[in-house]
Amino acid sequence: MGLREDIMNETVSELPLRRALTVHAELSINQACELMRENKLGCVFVVDEQDRPLGKFTERQVLKLVCDCVSLDEPVGSRMVPIPESGCVRMADPVVKVLEGMQQTRLRFLCVVDGEGKVVALTGQKGLMEYFTEHFPRQIKVQMMSSKMHMNTREGA
Amino acid sequence: MGRKRNPVEPGDFEDPLSNYDPPAYADELERVLCATEVSQMPIRPLAYIEKDATVQDALDTMCKYECSCVVVEDAGRAVGIFSARDVLNKVAHDPATRPMPITEFMTPDPRTVYATDCPAKALNLMAIGGFRHIPVLDVNDKVVGMLGPRRTTEFLQEHLI
Repeated sequence: MGLREDIMNETVSELPLRRALTVHAELSINQACELMRENKLGCVFVVDEQDRPLGKFTERQVLKLVCDCVSLDEPVGSRMVPIPESGCVRMADPVVKVLEGMQQTRLRFLCVVDGEGKVVALTGQKGLMEYFTEHFPRQIKVQMMSSKMHMNTREGA
Repeated sequence: MGRKRNPVEPGDFEDPLSNYDPPAYADELERVLCATEVSQMPIRPLAYIEKDATVQDALDTMCKYECSCVVVEDAGRAVGIFSARDVLNKVAHDPATRPMPITEFMTPDPRTVYATDCPAKALNLMAIGGFRHIPVLDVNDKVVGMLGPRRTTEFLQEHLI
C-alpha cells in the first residue's frame, strides 16, 4: 500500500498526537505564554466551561503583539483567533483531513475533538511529518541528516 | 614482480549499470518525494536580516512580511535563524532584549538542505530532527529559500489530490 492510500484510509487516531494545552479566556497572555514555554508548545486552545474550543492563541499572535507593543497582561480571550470548522478534526477522520485543514485554514496546529466537541488532543505539522516518516521508512529514514555538497579538500589530499 | 598487463579486450569491463534496478514507487506522491528536488517545492519568498541586526530589526522584518522565521545571513550564508518560537521563549517577556544583537537570540548554525536534495530529506529533518524551518542553499552555500510547515503541507497536498 502506498503513502497516498495510507493518508486517505488511516485515521487521525493513528497520527502522533500531543496533549493540547487548554486555558480559559480570562487567563492573561503572559500566563498563557508561560504555559506554552513550560510545555514547549507554540499553541494554547481557549475553551469554554465544557472544554469546547472557542479559539486558539499561538506564538504567531505573540509575535504580532510584541511587534505592536501590546501589553501581555491582557486576557488571552481578547486576542485569541477563532477556530474555523476545518480547524478541528475528530479521531475517526482520515489523515488527509488534517492536511486539508492545515492548508485551508493556514494553521499549523489543529484541534482534535471528541464526539461532544471537547478538546482531546492537538495535531499539526510535526505530527504529520512524523506520520510520513513512519509510513515511508525506506526512502525517508535513509536520508542523511546533514548536507554536504562537496569535499573541503581534494580526494586523498 | 610486476603485474602482467594484457591488452584490454572488449567485454573485459562489466557495465556497472547492468544490474541496476530503477527504484519503484508505490504512487506519484512517493515518486515526487524521492525523485524530485527541493527547488520544486515552494521555497520563496525568503525573509532575511544581516547578522549585525538587532532583535527589533528581526521583529520588524517578521511583521512586515508576515512570516514566522527570518534567516540571519553573513554575506549570503545562513549563520542562524530566528523564529516565532524564539520570540515566545526569549523576547516576549523582556522588552529590554529588543535593542540587543540578534546573534544572541538566534538559533545558530541551522540545519540546511540543498536545492538539489530530494524533498524526502527535508521531511526527514522536520520529523526526526524536529526542525520546523530549514534554509535551502544553492551549490555555493548561499541561501536561496526557506522551507517551513505551511509550504511543506502545500507541496504535499498539491501532489496528493
